[in-house]
Amino acid sequence: MSSPTDPGQAPAQRLPHRLYDAEGNPTTDRPWIFRTYAGHSSAAASNALYRKNLAAGQTGLSVAFDLPTQTGYSSDHPLALPEVGKVGVPINTIDDMHQLFEGIPLAEMNTSMTINATAMWLLALYIGVARERGEDVRKLQGTTQNDIIKEYLARGTYIFPPEASLRLIAEMYEYCLDHLPKWNASNICSYHLQEAGATPVQELAFALANAIGVLDTIRERGAVAPDRFPDVVGRISFFVNSGIRFIEEMCKMRAFVELWDEITRDRYGVQDPKQRLFRYGVQVNSLGLTEQQPENNAWRILIEALGVTLSRKARCRALQLPAWNEALSLPRPWDQQWSLRLQQILAYETDLLEYPDIFDGSIVIESKVEELKRQAREEIARIEAMGGIRAAVESGYLKSQLVRSMSERVSKINSGELVIVGVNRWTDGLPSPLLTGEDGGIFKVDEAETRRTLEALAAVKAKRDPARVQAALAALEEAARTGKNMMEPSIECALARVTTGEWADTLRRVFGEYRPPTGVEGQRLYVDSDRVAEVRRRAEEFVRRTGHRPRIVVGKPGLDGHSNGAEVIAVAARHCGFDVVYSGIRLTPEEIVQSAIEEAADVIGLSILSGSHLDLTRQVIEGLRAAGAGDAIPVIVGGIIPKDDHEALRALGARQIFTPADFDLADVMSRIMDVVEAQAGAGAR
Amino acid sequence: MSELDQLIEGAIALDKWPLARLVRLFEDTRPEAVAEKAAAIAALEAHGAGPRAMVAGFTGTPGSGKSTLVGQLAARLAARDAAPSVAVLAIDPSSHRSGGSILGDRTRVHFPVGERRLFFRSQPSDRELGGMGRATYPVVRLLERLFDYVFVETVGIGQSEVEIERLADRVYLVLQPLGGDQVQFMKAGIMEVPHAFILNKCDVGAAARRSYHALRASIDFARPGEAAPPPIFRTSAISGEGLDDVLDDLVAHRTVHDDAARQARDRYFFEKWVRDEYGRFGLDLLERQGGAAGLLAQGGTFEGAQAAYRAPLDPFAG
Repeated sequence: MSSPTDPGQAPAQRLPHRLYDAEGNPTTDRPWIFRTYAGHSSAAASNALYRKNLAAGQTGLSVAFDLPTQTGYSSDHPLALPEVGKVGVPINTIDDMHQLFEGIPLAEMNTSMTINATAMWLLALYIGVARERGEDVRKLQGTTQNDIIKEYLARGTYIFPPEASLRLIAEMYEYCLDHLPKWNASNICSYHLQEAGATPVQELAFALANAIGVLDTIRERGAVAPDRFPDVVGRISFFVNSGIRFIEEMCKMRAFVELWDEITRDRYGVQDPKQRLFRYGVQVNSLGLTEQQPENNAWRILIEALGVTLSRKARCRALQLPAWNEALSLPRPWDQQWSLRLQQILAYETDLLEYPDIFDGSIVIESKVEELKRQAREEIARIEAMGGIRAAVESGYLKSQLVRSMSERVSKINSGELVIVGVNRWTDGLPSPLLTGEDGGIFKVDEAETRRTLEALAAVKAKRDPARVQAALAALEEAARTGKNMMEPSIECALARVTTGEWADTLRRVFGEYRPPTGVEGQRLYVDSDRVAEVRRRAEEFVRRTGHRPRIVVGKPGLDGHSNGAEVIAVAARHCGFDVVYSGIRLTPEEIVQSAIEEAADVIGLSILSGSHLDLTRQVIEGLRAAGAGDAIPVIVGGIIPKDDHEALRALGARQIFTPADFDLADVMSRIMDVVEAQAGAGAR
Repeated sequence: MSELDQLIEGAIALDKWPLARLVRLFEDTRPEAVAEKAAAIAALEAHGAGPRAMVAGFTGTPGSGKSTLVGQLAARLAARDAAPSVAVLAIDPSSHRSGGSILGDRTRVHFPVGERRLFFRSQPSDRELGGMGRATYPVVRLLERLFDYVFVETVGIGQSEVEIERLADRVYLVLQPLGGDQVQFMKAGIMEVPHAFILNKCDVGAAARRSYHALRASIDFARPGEAAPPPIFRTSAISGEGLDDVLDDLVAHRTVHDDAARQARDRYFFEKWVRDEYGRFGLDLLERQGGAAGLLAQGGTFEGAQAAYRAPLDPFAG
């Protein structure tokens, strides 16, 4: 009898389909970390949610911050007010942070924070909480996302110019190396690139070039001793997307693993294979989730989860899944629980974790991986030739590549070349019973929570020591100006109860604010149909009749930076013969009104994904009236807008409403043209 | 009061909405708009709003940070003690075969909301490579009656420089460090037009210093024997460095076209208009009608001359 499970006995032979531990005993893998991207309303409400999720079997936290916190405004700033608590938790001071983690021991938790431009500040607050609680700071584990490149390219919550931003990231690596050895100071994100339309090759190349940019910056700064540099390399982690083409996605992950091993070895001379591991977390694709027949998204999420778990060699370290109804609204707790259950079934019910890599030896997979690697290497070489990732951002190259990929994707959906079930094929379906609950299957933020956040902020400001606040901010500014590491001064700011807005404003003064290229200039759309030709014909007719080309101001009011929708509309409108004034993201309603007035626009297109569409649309329409334009410039609104709000939006004066269901660009432009013509018929010059 | 009178009065008060609609009238290049434009100019004259602006041209390569720079210069100038009013007309080269365009310059300009003394307007260029649009000159003719300064921003290297030279009282060429070595500076043939050079993005450090010396050498080579070599300003939109030097230069050279100069300018742009709209045949016709100078004298204004030129061509003209 020689069973391999007999204790104390060496196994007779190793079977290729079994896993063995270091002692040679058969074993199974431990599951990845289960997370749910969560946070909303207020610190107190989010804390309650986290404790519920942990009780439900979640094994790590993934904190969603609201847009003001992400872009460095306190909740009481005018830009911030409509957005407080909408897409995440508002954090103004260390006291909010205490509240957020109440009853959760930090030293035992693995916390991932989706925070970028203000990452140093949020980490300082987290450390501050640990210090004030008397917890061991060295034990803190987790990740600050802190990838500014993809903010410029896709996500939009940047503040400072590239040089200053990269310095903040580098200083966090340098600080964490000595003080928080288990903390991932940043997470190189390719996730958002795929959301912005990136192909697998672009995802590979841009993310790896980005990581190279971060490491080169740290190496050139010289603050880390050369013998410790491999430790820095070992702390680089990634945040990746997983799309519906799950076999290619799995191959992409294997390509990532192999390319990173190569880069860390050849470029940075890292000897220890452990420090060359491609460590990554995943959020599966949201781009492909549909508003039409939303229940289908449950299957999409499952399939996408397989892409990053099937191959053991390229399996994620942590996984978070979106909810089936993400294209409709922010998820409710039940929706998130449903997604968590998927992970638990995959990890605990199936036999997934019992096998070594099941693709090793497949010539099909190997060939596909090699092709991806070859193409990615070529693209990386192109970026290097331009002067690296920073130059490729500043010149607009990367952004224009992404806008092009996105335009191609939209073009293919329009032509039917890319099949999306329920959207351009099999569109007749039975009504979904999932949407018939009392709340209509969507989540709404409780407005009363915003008041509590503002009260808490006022209370902290009233009780704190102003002298200590001033001294802390002065020390921060001094460090920023002189090139000293800003981590300790930021922690002192946290302890002094400085606010998020005060911290960010201090650095804004030193570094300035940045606006990256929009990427829409020079783009083309590959949609040519009789219906597009018809819209163009109508545009020419409009020129003949009015003496000017139809002019649209496309604007993103508020702090939400997801600009893909606005960019596609800008490109499509030009394609249809409009003059397009596109001013990028993060505009105040007043700025959009001023643009539309000065440009004598024929229509304003607002794109809003943050849930603040009612407030912001009202502000724009009232602003136009206050500026004397009355209702002469019609306003249309696009974004994630629940059906329930359509009537209210129309009552405010919105002439057309577009949602993710409106993917047919010829139809969208035709409806915009309707609005423009109706207005020109109604009024004089 | 007629609608036009209302627009005129609002525009003179720099009220943005009527002003913007009046600009729209001057962008209208259809024959039927000529009479209305002539009426608007006449009404402006009647209100005492004659040409008074200094027109400054800013031209340069894409990527030189020109839009950001022009926006900052305008805002800074308006904030000076004399509190002048400044209009920016940004010509964007991004046109498309559909006829549409993306006007992106606004992205890089942030004027205080509601400030009447600052006005920004985008305009598509008719050509892919930049230069002026068909409506540029008419709109400048309007804006120079309403503002103390009109900044015209164009992209382009080549033929458009000649047009900006004709249009503007002072021309600045904006370059970025490492915009090219000495040879490239000269090859482009752009060194001869500008009154002054702006080396922007000088926060880049060593590259900026190298480029400064290369540029200085190129200018000396391209423009030998000039009594006063043109100034080179080094600016940074991030730190604000050098911006006041440019403004000092601008203000020191503040000139407004005198009548003779304005007539010459009208003649140039009238001929350009005829050529663009009616081609060689149109130019022949112009000669037979007495040339640009004759028609301008006959029509009284640029718009009046346009009406006079068109009269024999237009079956609907009264």
